[in-house]
Amino acid sequence: MDDRRRRFEAQALPHLDAAYNLARWLSRSPVDADDIVQDAMLRAFRAFDGFRGGDAKAWLLTIVRNSWASAGTANRRRGHTSLDDENLVAEEATPEASAIQAGTRRQLDSMIAALPEEFREVLILREMEDMSYREIADVTGAPIGTVMSRLARARAMLRETAKACL
Amino acid sequence: MTCKEMLNTQSFLDGELDGADADAAERHLQSCAECQALAAGTADLGDALRGATRFRAPDSLRRRLGVALDRETRRAPARSFWLGAASGGGLSALAAGFALFVLLPPTAATLAQSVVDAHTAALTGGKTIMIASSNHHTVKPWLAMHAGISPPVTDFAPDGFVLKGGRMDEVAGRPAAVAVYAHGNHDVDLFAWPDRGAPLPAGGMVRGFRTSFWKSGDLDYAAVSDVDAGAFRKFVTLAQHQRE
Repeated sequence: MDDRRRRFEAQALPHLDAAYNLARWLSRSPVDADDIVQDAMLRAFRAFDGFRGGDAKAWLLTIVRNSWASAGTANRRRGHTSLDDENLVAEEATPEASAIQAGTRRQLDSMIAALPEEFREVLILREMEDMSYREIADVTGAPIGTVMSRLARARAMLRETAKACL
Repeated sequence: MTCKEMLNTQSFLDGELDGADADAAERHLQSCAECQALAAGTADLGDALRGATRFRAPDSLRRRLGVALDRETRRAPARSFWLGAASGGGLSALAAGFALFVLLPPTAATLAQSVVDAHTAALTGGKTIMIASSNHHTVKPWLAMHAGISPPVTDFAPDGFVLKGGRMDEVAGRPAAVAVYAHGNHDVDLFAWPDRGAPLPAGGMVRGFRTSFWKSGDLDYAAVSDVDAGAFRKFVTLAQHQRE
């Protein structure tokens, strides 16, 4: 095993779940998420010599987001099967989770999935990945001010829907 | 009428402001009903969103990725392949490509590196928990029996850190007991190992994970997680003040 591979596995692989989570929420499809992440990880590995330390997670998620963007046209043309509820809960369901929790999770998931893409991505990066505005701006390529207003809008939309549904 | 300060209040709530900016935002918040409603709504939403699904990469993807990276590794740096082959390690190095996804090899790096290695190895291998239980009366004896170390184990569920279980692990080549907590969708590992008088790292960010180290009694402790700074501080304070 060469040194580059070893460093890549130590620094980038721990963020594989974050990469997959972002790809999955962007694409809303397990099949597309697999393809996006595999593509992104290979791109990341090839570009790894250019990575000079710093925040490996933000670096990797930027590549994921770019992979999604470049696959975007094809994905949109193909059209999406809407979020498959069973698929969504199946992976994370815990034995103790009550039916109520599972139901709430399903509702939450479909509320997030229904957000327009540019709002969905800032919400996922902030609320699930705990990234700072600066990091979110780096990953999405949007100015910080735009990140702030999109985040505010995303939260407002979710609160509105939640009021109606939950 | 919408308050002009709302985005600024949001930045404050998200922990993006400090110093005088944070003080000013806090003062505004105390006097603005609209921003108070925003604060309450944002907090509720944040709590609710911890119940949404944070997806984990499926094992099938990890395997495919392993194969794809093997192919890349073989193709690009021919030099290291031949060096490996010459020393007879070529094939085993390729085979190890798989194993590495399950468990990263222990490095001879510092304690901080080693603890983060252990944490990430457990995360990437999906083996964070060997005994799943939210009951500290179950986890503590299991750790004592399997890791030979018996740190205090407390469920901090009322404070937002739910005890999920425990595992035995290794830190710098020596056994360590790990209590595993969930904070929303994030894992928090609390390591403990016998104090051998070694100086502890200062803590801080290591490869994108927060770390903190301290000594208590005859044990060394380390907390590792990717939760946000505020939550991490809270967890460390809780862990440092738990009783036997």
